[in-house]
Amino acid sequence: MKRINTRILKDRIFLLGIIILSLLAILPLFHILLTIFIKGFPVLIKGGIEFLTGTLPPPGHELGGIGPAIIGTFILVTLSSMLGIPIAIMAGIFAYEYPNSFIGRATRLLLQIMMEFPTILVGLFSMFILVTPMGTYSAIAGAFALAIIMMPYVAISTEESLREVPKDYKEAAYSLGLTRFQVIFKVMVRIARRGILTGILIGIAKAAGETAPLLFTIGGSTRVYFEGLDKPIGAIPLLIYNLVQQPYENYHQIAWGAALVLLLIYLLIFTPIRLKLREVRL
Amino acid sequence: MKDYLKIFLLPFSSLVFGIFILMLIVYFLNSYEIFKREGLAIYFTNVWNASEIPEEEYYGVLAAIYGSLYTSIIAIIISLPLSISLAIFIVDYAPKRLKEFFIIASDIMAGLPTILYGIWGAFILVPFLKNYVMEPLYQSLSFIPLFSYPPTTGFSYLSAGVLLGIMVTPFATSIIREAYRMIPQMYKEALYSLGATRYEATKVLLGYIKPAIVAGMILAFGRAIGETVAVSLVIGNVFNIDISLFAPGYTISSLIANQFGNAFVYEYMVSALFAAGLSLFFIGLIINILALYIIRRWKYETY
Repeated sequence: MKRINTRILKDRIFLLGIIILSLLAILPLFHILLTIFIKGFPVLIKGGIEFLTGTLPPPGHELGGIGPAIIGTFILVTLSSMLGIPIAIMAGIFAYEYPNSFIGRATRLLLQIMMEFPTILVGLFSMFILVTPMGTYSAIAGAFALAIIMMPYVAISTEESLREVPKDYKEAAYSLGLTRFQVIFKVMVRIARRGILTGILIGIAKAAGETAPLLFTIGGSTRVYFEGLDKPIGAIPLLIYNLVQQPYENYHQIAWGAALVLLLIYLLIFTPIRLKLREVRL
Repeated sequence: MKDYLKIFLLPFSSLVFGIFILMLIVYFLNSYEIFKREGLAIYFTNVWNASEIPEEEYYGVLAAIYGSLYTSIIAIIISLPLSISLAIFIVDYAPKRLKEFFIIASDIMAGLPTILYGIWGAFILVPFLKNYVMEPLYQSLSFIPLFSYPPTTGFSYLSAGVLLGIMVTPFATSIIREAYRMIPQMYKEALYSLGATRYEATKVLLGYIKPAIVAGMILAFGRAIGETVAVSLVIGNVFNIDISLFAPGYTISSLIANQFGNAFVYEYMVSALFAAGLSLFFIGLIINILALYIIRRWKYETY
């Protein structure tokens, strides 16, 4: 009788522990989202449209705007997508189509390693490859670093979503007399497009939010919108990073406002990912 | 017949490889100068003599390596119980509607731009830890070496470790959750039919996915050690090797982030920072390969 009681007691303690620890795990995450909304929203309201379009004010009382950083982030994301996504999709198809060849296996392994690779190392690399020879920080250097960072996400999900396509389709396509080229690009990629698109969105979300690779590549202009791809440019994450380290109160407020803008952009990219995933599950 | 597809795709795969190998070469080439000058001592000394006169320059990044390991270990210690509990809760106990919500929330948080963790860490977490954790502990238990450093600013190993722990928990949770979810329903039914309590059943099932948990934790460790901006905002950025949780310090990535901007003024600092990056490069490589190997072996053995 006593034995059973201790077992039940243990069970109860276990359940309680799970619930408490789960709450403890979730709590800070909600607190982060909530804080960004609470601190950022008043800044957006107070700053109005000018907060999204204006430039950084001098240290003092005004709020000004984060226009250059927003434009910079969009340019960087577009540019890095143009550089990274095609290469990544092709590399992903290669890993899928030749899974047993040495290069196919090695590609897959490399992509998986790159996925969790410290991003600051990519930034340093891009600085050495592009910034030093060009003699100036530039949008190109930042986009190059971001392209390297988004590639593994796109490639891996391309490979995985191709693998999820039933073999029957492939066999049917071959039996129609299509070449290997046509089978992949006209049939397989089209069937797997939803999964590939998900990977692309994840990659874009990643590129939009990265800070470390931009530290030594883009220069982080705050008062000039856009001068050219070979000139310094701003980015929201980098702006936040720089403003947080400043001692001025208005800069901290701008940082919170920028954080909310970044969060909204991130959620905007992320929501379709979730919806897409759910559609597939049904 | 020639395989045109392969010929067409090969350049892209090679490009990915080329970039990675070029990256390795760049790190080796740039570290060469400091290795020639100091040898491996750069990894085992804690000095940072930046000087206008090249002869007086001497760099050792031990403090940063120490800080990286220390904060990442704190992060893992915090994250392990939290992520396992959350994974179990989501899979076994959360009501269906809540389950979906929890999964979405943890996926969102796993991919959240790390600078958002950073701003929260710098403005909210650090003051909180300083006022409610560090100061009470320091006042009452400062004879214990772990709590012996006076928490004047709050920027410390502890702040960085806790922030990293919070950051990697959603990521670790999703790995453990996926593994836990994949356990065949049969096993659970068998356990309960033997009269096991929920505690006993879960204990057995966790044993079954142990490799996935280990791999998840290794990957989380890798993420923690590679994180730059969030850590750099809360660790204090001081060359320091201290056992105390409340002492400020450096990590490899925050060292690079902070010093690289003015490194070009000096003769050898760039090279020293590339050498620090090289150590991070190999830590990243080893961690990822190890985790992939564990997961692959586990999947191979079980399926």
